[in-house]
Amino acid sequence: MELIQTVFEVFLRTYPGFLEATLTTLKITAVALVLGTVLGLIFALMKISRSKILQTIANLYITIIRGTPLIVQIMFLYFGITSLIVLSGFWAGAIALGIHNGAYIAEIFRGAIQGIDKGQREASSSLGMTRSQSMRRIVFPQALKRSIPPLGNQFIITLKDSSLVYIISVPELFAMANREAAQSFQSLETYLVVGAYYLVLVMIFTYLLKLYENKLNVDK
Amino acid sequence: MLKGSNIHKSFGDLEVLKGIDLEVAPSEVVVLVGVSGSGKSTLLRCFNFLERINKGTIEIDGQVIDPKKHKLSEIRAEVGMVFQHFNLFPHMTVLENVIEAPIIVKKMKKADAIVLGKQLLEKVGLSDKADVYPSKLSGGQKQRVAIARSLAMEPKVLLFDEPTSALDPELVGEVLAVMQQLAQEGMTMVVVTHEMKFAKEVADRVIMLDEGRIIESADPATFFENPSHERTKQFIQLVD
Repeated sequence: MELIQTVFEVFLRTYPGFLEATLTTLKITAVALVLGTVLGLIFALMKISRSKILQTIANLYITIIRGTPLIVQIMFLYFGITSLIVLSGFWAGAIALGIHNGAYIAEIFRGAIQGIDKGQREASSSLGMTRSQSMRRIVFPQALKRSIPPLGNQFIITLKDSSLVYIISVPELFAMANREAAQSFQSLETYLVVGAYYLVLVMIFTYLLKLYENKLNVDK
Repeated sequence: MLKGSNIHKSFGDLEVLKGIDLEVAPSEVVVLVGVSGSGKSTLLRCFNFLERINKGTIEIDGQVIDPKKHKLSEIRAEVGMVFQHFNLFPHMTVLENVIEAPIIVKKMKKADAIVLGKQLLEKVGLSDKADVYPSKLSGGQKQRVAIARSLAMEPKVLLFDEPTSALDPELVGEVLAVMQQLAQEGMTMVVVTHEMKFAKEVADRVIMLDEGRIIESADPATFFENPSHERTKQFIQLVD
């Protein structure tokens, strides 16, 4: 009983700062998702292209990014390439998350595109469409619809993974929680509260995703 | 109209077509028959360049088509194809399925394409289904939409690859009726089918493929009553 009360007290004391930090978390996640989706699409198309060079570049990207820890990629962008370019914590974190996501999203798109029945491509070719017309008008719209559940999954992972940018002092939710826990010595309560923030965010996102999926399935 | 000379096609070590010569005249309806594996579907797919031939030539309207020089998309636009499994676009309505290629490939104005699309849907008896999605249609209706979709490109030749094989028996008739109507209107057609009644009644010529070669080519009466090849006799007995 006492725990519930202290958790509530911590919540009340921290929410002005935590809400602001939540906004930063959401901003980083949004940038990472947009960047990740764009990169994912580009590399998926490269991977299924007929050019060996493009295929190799895409494979290299996916292998390296999936094969190294996200936290290493964040540190690399923030501290590793300062001789090349100096990024703020926010941008280093968001771009690292975006590049990281791109590799996974590329595989989601590639799988969905290749999963479309080859009869669809044959039918569009037989009507005189070029490869790119067929991809744009026939194959990709269907693949996109099939990508939505795994993309949603990836988006949730990104939201939670954004907590890793605390390591480069971006004032997002987890960084704020760490600071609060260290100052107040109320670690148990603080981490319970911050966990609840992430849980609620994920639940809201899952709900929105479900609405969107239902909308897509209305008449098909 | 459509002419294949000495067509050879192999898949790996398997030689499926072993030198096919076939000329289809304008407005002619040619029915290809044969046991499965005889190469009839492959031949059809070669005519639409969905498969590349290893040897031989294909002429359309007297012009030899070289897949390296010609844009295949332009050639395919002149040779329509109707598939066994319809291959309608599931994310588009029936009307959108029909008008997609005229708009995208021929750059037809959308308003004109809609007029054309509605005419074609009326022709195949599906005016009332214009705004529904393919998943709501029966197999026979889907195939009729697929035929309308091919017709929208105003092809010179229409190829049918077992158009009724995936249909429930009671739905076969409505598709064959549309095909018969097209034949009467003078459409040039090459049809792979197991529907012998259609071959007898609609075809100008019936061709038997066996192990990648044409072994019999005759008008339907001769083909069914007085075939010259032993394998053709066996086949006719088998399907009767």
